[in-house]
Amino acid sequence: MWTSDPAQTPGNLTCPFCGLACDDLSVAPGPADAGLVLVNGCQTARGAFAGAMAAGPGTALIKGQPVSLEAALAHAAGLLAAARAPLFGGLVTDVNGMRAVLELADRCGALLDHVGADALFRNLLVLQDGGWMTATLTEVRNRADLILILGREVPHRFPRLCERVLLPPEALFSPPGERRLVLLGPAEPGPLPAEFAAANPTLIPVALADLAGVGALLRGLIAGRPVRADAIPGVAGAQLKQLAGWLCGARYAVVTWAAGELAFPHAELTVQAFVELVRDLNRTTRAAALPLAGTLGDLTANQVCTWQTGYPLRSGRQQGRSCYEPLLYRHQDLLAQGQSDLLLWVQALPAANPAATPAAKCPTIVLGYPGLACGRVPEVFIPVGLPGIDHPGHWYRTDAVCPLPLGQVRDLGLASVAGVIGKLSERLGATAE
Amino acid sequence: MLTRLAGGLIYDPAQGIDGEVRDLFIRDGQLVAPAPGEDPDHTYDLRGKLVMAGAIDLHTHIGGGKVNIARTMLPEDQRAHCRARTALTRTGGGQVVPSTFAAGYRYAEMGYTTAFEPAVLPMNARQAHMEMADTPMLDTGGYAMLGNDDLLLQLMSEGVGQEVINDYVAWTLKATQCIGIKVVNPGGINAFKFNARKLDVDERHPHYPLTPRDILRTLSRAVAELGVPHPLHVHASNLGIPGNQVSTLATIDAAEGLPIHLTHIQFHSYGAEGDRRFSSAAAVIAEAVNRRPNVTIDVGQVMFGQTVTVSGDTMRQYANHQHAHPRKWTCMDIECDAGCGVVPFRYRDQNFVNALQWAIGLELFLMVDDPWRVFLTTDHPNGAPFTSYPRLIRLLMDRGFRNDCLAQINPEAAALSNLGSLTREYSRNEIAIMTRAAPARILGLADRGHLAPGARADITVYHDLADPEQTFARPMLVFKGGELVVEEGAVTRVVRGRTQVVRPEFDPAIEGRIGRWFDRYHSIRLANFAITDTEMAAGIGSPVTIHPCNRRST
Ligand code: SF4
Repeated sequence: MWTSDPAQTPGNLTCPFCGLACDDLSVAPGPADAGLVLVNGCQTARGAFAGAMAAGPGTALIKGQPVSLEAALAHAAGLLAAARAPLFGGLVTDVNGMRAVLELADRCGALLDHVGADALFRNLLVLQDGGWMTATLTEVRNRADLILILGREVPHRFPRLCERVLLPPEALFSPPGERRLVLLGPAEPGPLPAEFAAANPTLIPVALADLAGVGALLRGLIAGRPVRADAIPGVAGAQLKQLAGWLCGARYAVVTWAAGELAFPHAELTVQAFVELVRDLNRTTRAAALPLAGTLGDLTANQVCTWQTGYPLRSGRQQGRSCYEPLLYRHQDLLAQGQSDLLLWVQALPAANPAATPAAKCPTIVLGYPGLACGRVPEVFIPVGLPGIDHPGHWYRTDAVCPLPLGQVRDLGLASVAGVIGKLSERLGATAE
Repeated sequence: MLTRLAGGLIYDPAQGIDGEVRDLFIRDGQLVAPAPGEDPDHTYDLRGKLVMAGAIDLHTHIGGGKVNIARTMLPEDQRAHCRARTALTRTGGGQVVPSTFAAGYRYAEMGYTTAFEPAVLPMNARQAHMEMADTPMLDTGGYAMLGNDDLLLQLMSEGVGQEVINDYVAWTLKATQCIGIKVVNPGGINAFKFNARKLDVDERHPHYPLTPRDILRTLSRAVAELGVPHPLHVHASNLGIPGNQVSTLATIDAAEGLPIHLTHIQFHSYGAEGDRRFSSAAAVIAEAVNRRPNVTIDVGQVMFGQTVTVSGDTMRQYANHQHAHPRKWTCMDIECDAGCGVVPFRYRDQNFVNALQWAIGLELFLMVDDPWRVFLTTDHPNGAPFTSYPRLIRLLMDRGFRNDCLAQINPEAAALSNLGSLTREYSRNEIAIMTRAAPARILGLADRGHLAPGARADITVYHDLADPEQTFARPMLVFKGGELVVEEGAVTRVVRGRTQVVRPEFDPAIEGRIGRWFDRYHSIRLANFAITDTEMAAGIGSPVTIHPCNRRST
C-alpha cells in the first residue's frame, strides 16, 4: 500500500529486491531488539532487507569527507550547472524518483541509462523491431499448461517464480499438477531448487549461445519444414522433436527467460527467435512469452522515461531536444570513451552486480543508499532512502503492467531520490513543467 | 480578482446561447455573476471573437500500458514530430503517440481542457493515472474495463444476483479511481485466451455459460442502477469485420432500453455488400441511433495518414496484425483482467477500404440527427491522432471542402458512399454541443462544458476566421480554472489537472469476496490493487474530484 505507516501493511508489503515484486511480505520486531526483520519472502529478500536495516542513515560526503547535506547539495548543483554533457546513470529508483530524474535531465541536457540496460535492451530491441505476444504473471499462473524456460538462472534470479506463478497451489484453468516444465539451457550450474525439481521438469541441455539456433529449429519443426532436428551438435534432436510436439499440443504454452542471463553479443536475436516461435504457435493455439525483468527498477525507469519523453532509456535531451540512440548511449561505453563530463549515478537499492558504482574518469555525483560502494571516490555522495523501506513509492514488476505501491517500514530521516533531486532542481532555478 | 471577458460571441448550448454577444466574469477559477456595479480588475476585449467552454474529449487513448508500448514501438513518431524544450515546457513530442507532456500541451493549444482515457485496465489503473498526472493542462479521468475479467464472468456464471454485480462494479470504480465503465468486445478478449477467434453477440463463450449479450445486459444494468452518469461505454463485438452492422444492432438491443454508449461506431458500421463485400451501413446504424433515445455514440473518424491502433481488443488486434504498417505488432494477455494489442497502421486515401471507412465516419456524423448524442472523436490514435480534430470539424462544417476531399479518395469507395448527397453542415452551436455541452452532460460533469455562473472557468476563445479548421486549430486564448494558459495557440502557463471520478455506494461485504478471489488466483494483494485518494494526491500526483451519482433502486 501507499503508506508511511508499517502498521497498515501487514502481509501487504511489496518487496523491491527482484522483478517479481512480491507484495505479501510482513515485517516484525527481530530478536533482541535487532530492529525489524522480514518474516516471510525468499532468502534473497530477507538477506537484502537485513542488510538494509543494518545500515545507518549515512552521511553526505564531498570527496569522501563528511559535510552537511546543504553543502553537498550546493556542490552538486554547481557541478550540474557547469556540466555540458552530463550522463545520468544507475537510475535504480521508484516512479517519483524517475520523474524527478527526468525533469533534471531535461534541464541539464543529460543522457539517461540504467545500470541494467544491457539486459533491458535485449528485450526492448525485439519489441521495437517486430513486437511480440506476451502475458502477465496472473495470466500465466492460471492458464499455462506448458512452460518452457530458457537458460538456467531463472529460478535463482526470480526466487518465488515457481511458488507464485509457475506452480501455484491452485489455478483457474490449468491444474498446476498437470503442467509440463521444460528447461532449455546449460546443464550447469548444479541442481535445481527443490520446488522446480519436484515438478519433474524435462531438461534439454543447450549452451546459451546455441539457444537462437534451437529456437529457429523448433520453428521449422513446428511449421513442418524439412529441418534436421539434430542439426545442432550436442543438442538431442529427438528431444527437440518431442518439445515441438508438446508446444503445438499445448493449450497455452509460455516461454520465459531472464534477459539478464543472456549476456552475450546480439542476444536480442535469441529473444527474437523465441518471440517469433510464440507468434507461430498462435496461428493455431494460444501461447505467450513471459520476459522476466524488473529487478533494480529497469522497467520502472524505462516506463516513466517512455511516457514522459516518448523515448525509452538510452535517450537524451541534448540541446533541448530528445534523441534516442540505443546502440550509442550505453553508459559503460560513454564513460569508457570519455564522452561525458559529469556522471550522476542514482542507486537507491543494492545490486549484486555491479557491486559498486562505475569508476568514471569524469566527476561523479552519487545519490546512493547508505552503504553503497563507490568504484572511485565521488565528488559528492548524498545518501538516499530505499523505496519500500524508507519511503513509499511505486515500482514495476516484471510484466511491466502492474506498478505496485511500495510501503515504508522505518524513518531514519533519509530523503527519497525525488526529494534530493527536487532540492537540486530548486537550486538550479525555475522549473519547466 | 475579477476578470471580465468582454463582448465575445458566446456559444453555450447548455444555456441555449447560440452566438450572442455577452460578457463573462471569472473569479477564483469560476465563472461568476458579479454584483451590480462591481468593477473588473482586468478586462479582455473579445469583440468579434468566438467564446466557448473548454472542449472535452470523452474518448482518447492518452495514458496506460498500451500507449506506452506504442510509444516504445514507434520512436519514428518522436523523430518526425520533435518538440523542443522551452522555458515553460518540457522536451518530448510525437503525434500519434505523443509523450504525456506533448499530449497535454497540444490538447490545450487546441482549446481542450478535459480528456478521458477510455480503456483503463483495472490492473493497470495506476499507470494510466500516473501518465495522465504527467499530462499537464488537462483534467483527466478514465473508464475501467470490465466484462472480460474472470471474476465478473465467474460471478455471472454462478448466477449471483444483480446486487452483487452492482457492488463489484461500484467497488471497481472506487478501487481504480474511474468515472465510468467500459466493456471491450464483451467476453471476446477473454475468449481469445481460450483460443476463440470470434465471438458473436449471441454466441456462447468457450468456457463460461455466457454470451456477450448477457454481459452487456448485466453491466448496462449495473451502471444504470448504481446511478453512474456515464452509460456503459461499449466497444462492440466484431470490430472492423465487414457485415458487423448486425452485431452492432444486436449490441444496442442488448441494453434493453437502458442507456448505452457505443464508441468508435464507425468501425462497427460495415455492411458486406458489393463486389468487394465491404460497404457502408452508416444509414442503418444512424437510423437505429435516431430511433433509440437511450443510445449515444462517438464516431472514431478515420483520417488519412500514419497512425497506430491501440486497443484492449486482443481478439481483433490479433486478427488485424497482418495489416500492420510498419510491420510490427504486439498483443498481450493481461492478469485474468483483459488484454491489449498494438498494431501500427497507415490509412490511405487511395485504398478502397480505408477510403470507405473515412466516408462512413462522416456519413454517421451527418445522418445522426441529434448533436447531443454524437461525439467528435477519432478514437485517438486508432482512427487518427487527436491533432486532426480541426480538419475534421471543417469536414463537418464545410460541404464544399468535404466534397473536394471526397473527389480525391479512391473513386470506387466514393461511388459507394452517399456522402456527396448529404447537404448538412454543422453549425458552430452544434460543434459546441458535441465537443463541450454534450460530453459534460453524458459524463455527469455539472461543473464544466458550459459557461453559466458556478462553472469552472475552463474557457476557449477563438478567432472568427472563414476557415473553421484555422479557427479551431489555434485558439486566441484558453483559460483553465480561470488561469490564462494558452495565447495565440501556444502554451503560456503550465498547470496541472485533477482526476475526475464517481463513487457510487456499495456494500463493503463484496471486498471479502473479491479478496478471497485475489488470494487464490492473483499475483497481487487486494490491498495493493486498490488506489486510495491519498495515493492519488501524494503518490500519483493527481488529486481526485468526485462527481455525484444518482442511485436508482434495484
Ligand atoms: S522473489 Fe523477489 S520480490 Fe519476491 S520476495 Fe524474493 S526477492 Fe522479493
